[in-house]
Amino acid sequence: MKEYKGGYFGKILHVNMDDGSTRIESIDDDYVEKYVGGRGFAIKLLWDHLKKTGKIDPLAAESMLVVAPGPLTGVYLPSSGKNSFAAISPATGIYGDSSMGGGFGVELRQAGYDAVAITGKTSELSYLFIDDDVIKIVPCPELAGKGNLETEGRIRDNLGDHSLRVASIGIAGENLVRFACVTSEWSRNAGRTGIGAVMGSKNLKAIVVRGHKDMPVADLEKVIEISEKAYHELGSHYMMGHWQRVGLMGVIDYANELGILPTHNFRDTHWEKAHMINADVMMSKGHKIGNTGCFGCPMCCGNINIVKEGKWAGTVTEGPEYETAAMLGSNVGVDDFASVLRANHLCDDFGVDTISMGNLIAAVIEGYEKDLLTLDDLDGKPVKWGGDERIMELIEQTAKCESIGATIALGAKGMLARWPQLKPLILHVKGLEQSAYDCRGASSMALAYGTSDIGAHHTRAWTVGKELEAGADWTNKDRVDLVIYHQHIRSLFDMFGVCRLPWIELGFHEDFYAELYSAVTGKEFGLEPLLKASQNLYDMTRAINVALGVKRKDDFPPDRTFVPIHTGPLAGKVCDKKEYDEMLGLYYKTRGWDEEGKPGNFAI
Amino acid sequence: MRRKLAIVPERCSGCRVCEIACAVHNQGVNNPKKARIRVTAIYPHPVVRMPVVCSQCKDAKCMAACPTDAIFSKDGVVQITDDECIGCHACVDACPFGAMYIHPDYDVPLKCDICGNSDQPQCAKMCPTGAITFIPEHVFGQAHRLNNVLSYAHMKEIEYMEKGEPKKLHYADNNAADREESGGAK
Repeated sequence: MKEYKGGYFGKILHVNMDDGSTRIESIDDDYVEKYVGGRGFAIKLLWDHLKKTGKIDPLAAESMLVVAPGPLTGVYLPSSGKNSFAAISPATGIYGDSSMGGGFGVELRQAGYDAVAITGKTSELSYLFIDDDVIKIVPCPELAGKGNLETEGRIRDNLGDHSLRVASIGIAGENLVRFACVTSEWSRNAGRTGIGAVMGSKNLKAIVVRGHKDMPVADLEKVIEISEKAYHELGSHYMMGHWQRVGLMGVIDYANELGILPTHNFRDTHWEKAHMINADVMMSKGHKIGNTGCFGCPMCCGNINIVKEGKWAGTVTEGPEYETAAMLGSNVGVDDFASVLRANHLCDDFGVDTISMGNLIAAVIEGYEKDLLTLDDLDGKPVKWGGDERIMELIEQTAKCESIGATIALGAKGMLARWPQLKPLILHVKGLEQSAYDCRGASSMALAYGTSDIGAHHTRAWTVGKELEAGADWTNKDRVDLVIYHQHIRSLFDMFGVCRLPWIELGFHEDFYAELYSAVTGKEFGLEPLLKASQNLYDMTRAINVALGVKRKDDFPPDRTFVPIHTGPLAGKVCDKKEYDEMLGLYYKTRGWDEEGKPGNFAI
Repeated sequence: MRRKLAIVPERCSGCRVCEIACAVHNQGVNNPKKARIRVTAIYPHPVVRMPVVCSQCKDAKCMAACPTDAIFSKDGVVQITDDECIGCHACVDACPFGAMYIHPDYDVPLKCDICGNSDQPQCAKMCPTGAITFIPEHVFGQAHRLNNVLSYAHMKEIEYMEKGEPKKLHYADNNAADREESGGAK
């Protein structure tokens, strides 16, 4: 690379699991300018691969899994511990990615790679060991059926090095559960879109990384200057103490007061028992014993919790954060915080996504309540709101693909194929279960779920708070503009390999990242060209999705979005289907896509 | 007055800001593997995270182990003379705390010298949770002293909420001691 003096090693590692062969793809200035890094590189790699293979089963051996930290991952700046995992999702059949915090991406960069693309399948359960320049595939049949907690510890012990990083799958990934996670540092998860199942389909139990290299930074003095100012600003922010104390658990009360807290499978959006699963319970009942922070992050939003007494005594878990507490708490009617902790622990160890898990269990409970599922469907064991012991059992059965769990493990699409009567009850877009924010009070959020390139996930565009706080005078244009802006700026964070939270929560300015990226790369950038690159990539994921069959009808939010809320502060609120359709049309038009949502410039 | 780096592991989040701040300032590279302080994290049994850094021992085992007398102490800071070091790493092995580090790019081990005996070491300055403190030597052990005092005095505790924040009130009940002396409460 010529113009970029830092930020990149210029190397993408390709590994073929079939025979263990590797290849280094060199990347140049043009590549970097177009795709930036992280999620951007992943999209380009999957795009090229898809052109070669055509549409294939996401769990087929020749499918590709991409692991991509960004050019800012591991750099001396606040919250730079992010890393993207991407593949064609086995849950949705379209583009899928999920990012993970912690230190895994930093270690991968230190091994000297900007991204790793894995194809093929080993005959025996194995882990991939990226040891700086030496790449090995190591058989590990002894780890079959082991949970994430044991797997990571045993790999570190066996290799006799406590400082390396492990990203593993639990039982769920091995069993190809469609919403299986990839887990690192015992409980940091790339949770969504079933990347863990893609690893499982390759017989890839873990990716182990050890790296020692300097991360290339063009102007370190400048980075130090900008970053230390940033650390200082964040450290003196009035909300900083709150973030360190409770992290995202603080959102439970916020969401409940606004009326967007998913309760009883999103039937209600406000819960009188929310105070039993909120941050106050975590703090006052002595559950929280410590913080965790991703690499370089002063916010340390992770909560480490334990259960000291009662039936779940002895449970240790890193979490929950908001999504988990809502989806495995209010959404399934669990009002005991210790049970939420237990469910969180099980999901981490088995390696299943807590959002999808809570969503699908809630659909089963409601389906049984409404007689859409019979006792036979449930293997003779009833399940009810707040029935925590049966819920734990369902989590385990899902991870192990046993009994009814074998159907739940197929995700929203698979469950609907077996139980089409559950259609109104399973909240998903394109096969990805909806995150823990109800969108009926803010139709921009409905649009965000509908048009997110991976399905109903909140991190592409989180506009619900903004719209509700702003009041009722928003036009569809306001909504469309905000959703599109978020889809670009938030994707840009995934491309850089940094966390969005300092920006969205502590008012950190976007321009800071452009300034830092300039200092790291030694090439002057404003925010505009970077956002343009992000927009291009959004068009690319759309083109991938269109090629894989996505049409306008797939860009609608879950059915329940069009059923009014009955209770709570937003009672009576509903998203109007006709209005949504108009808004979607405006969204396509603003993006320059055609009536079916096909981007003009891209064909695959 | 000499000062020391003191670690409060209970406050550590494992974010490694200390590592990266140390590396960029002392080695001039963006590489946490070249830091002189490292966070060790153990999970889930037991859950603990702790930055490990040199204690600047008065009778330093690293110094005693060095076959070439490359390690010396000046103004309370134990340091390595690079030219004298032969890279045998006997010091790394001798340190009872594992507080010296090896990186393949260097022959000389990485060891904290309090940022060149500065009055504001970077790790303590940048730690976002106060897990790394830089305190006068005579304050060292104060936390344990206080803990010791508190446990000796059979402290009682009341939990309560104030403006939505959980609070605790601690007190030593002097009357309880009197009651015990007089043969239990009546």
